[in-house]
Amino acid sequence: MRNRAKRARQIKALLLFGVLLVLILMLIVATVGRRQFNAPHKFTLELIGRAQSGITSVTGVITNIWDGYIALVDVREENLRLRAELQKSKALNNKYAEAVAINDRLTKLLGLKESLSAPNLTARIIGRDPSLWFKTVIIDRGSSDGVKQGMPVVTAEGIVGQIMSLSPHYAKVLLTIDPNSAIDVIVQRTRVQGIIKGNGSGYQLHYVLKNWEIGQGDTIVTSGLGGIFPEGLQVGKVTRVTESRRGMFQKIEIQPSVDFSQLEHLIIIMKENSLAE
Amino acid sequence: MLIFFFLMLGATLLTIQTTIFTMLPPWMGNPDLLFLLIVFIAIRFDIFPGALLALLFGLMTDIYAGIFLGLYPVVYLLLYFLLQGMSRLLVIDETVHQAPLAATSYLFTSSGIFIFATILAPDASLDWSWRNIILETLILAVIAIPFYHFCAKLQELVQGGLKNRTFLRPKTGNRFRV
Repeated sequence: MRNRAKRARQIKALLLFGVLLVLILMLIVATVGRRQFNAPHKFTLELIGRAQSGITSVTGVITNIWDGYIALVDVREENLRLRAELQKSKALNNKYAEAVAINDRLTKLLGLKESLSAPNLTARIIGRDPSLWFKTVIIDRGSSDGVKQGMPVVTAEGIVGQIMSLSPHYAKVLLTIDPNSAIDVIVQRTRVQGIIKGNGSGYQLHYVLKNWEIGQGDTIVTSGLGGIFPEGLQVGKVTRVTESRRGMFQKIEIQPSVDFSQLEHLIIIMKENSLAE
Repeated sequence: MLIFFFLMLGATLLTIQTTIFTMLPPWMGNPDLLFLLIVFIAIRFDIFPGALLALLFGLMTDIYAGIFLGLYPVVYLLLYFLLQGMSRLLVIDETVHQAPLAATSYLFTSSGIFIFATILAPDASLDWSWRNIILETLILAVIAIPFYHFCAKLQELVQGGLKNRTFLRPKTGNRFRV
């Protein structure tokens, strides 16, 4: 009698668990492959984002104290000053080079637009993707700051990524070196067009025909055609060009202009109409 | 109480992995402590609470790792039930088995994530780097045993409760004093 009751209880518990498991699996299957956050994801991101933000602030303070006071104070200050000056000069130089290149070819055309005229917002990286194959970061800006999905993210050195998912105060950025990222670009010198895809540490330039001119050291910039990044933003430099005997296209490797391992602060370009929406 | 405590522990480990561990030099890798916690839960917890924890950890990891939602819950639940089944048939919760268990589980999970991610985005050329995989596997195998001891102590503490701890004067060597 007691065994029967115990067995009945076990069967009930098993049935309940089975139903719950099926429901949960249905929920998971319904969301597998989606890239956009739903309400529980946003809620969890809000909670854990605060902890990440706190830890990043504390480690930032500790790092600043160590770098600023314990290790070579004077040398560090002069180094920082010189780096800031160099960054400004590099940004100016690139702007002038791009302006000259565009002006030479497009002086006869009407309707030349200015790039990077949209308002922008700074953001700080508070967390990074711990997985081996995906390259994403979490920043401390969200929908409450006016950020929208698909907005481009850049630094003074060049393009960084685009906003992938967001919650009210935090957002996830897909970096351009992620294998799932693809951006329309051109070669600054020859205006050859192509698409760069990330490979985890750098880029590969695709769909460049073999008879198109491109060489090592060429600067790659955004073309503006994808509708996400404004035109003329730095992407990187060509490091290797390989022409295989088969196929129509060249195999081109590009070194990003941005050092993704040293990223701390980003700029979000607040474009009003993002094609990614 | 136990589930809530380990849920908080998992959230803390995930926060540390996505902030402090990303600053480590490349040769130290990025130890996936949350993964070790899931393996610990699979071999030590009952099936229902453990499955709930594995699912919640997978959902949390989805937010911070990867770009496909649902990938980590599926893989972690598969791993969880596989280890649960194995723990009922084999003696895998012994100390001597913990390091190889962590290593093989990590290889299984990484393969699963790589395969699913490749299926979901065939245009993206994901790079399977044996060097990185072996480095992470070795690091996890080394830290598995002390980490499991730590988790076991935490589990005893939470289940036993502080009220059951007695604070007695340590006994002296002389037991024959009247």
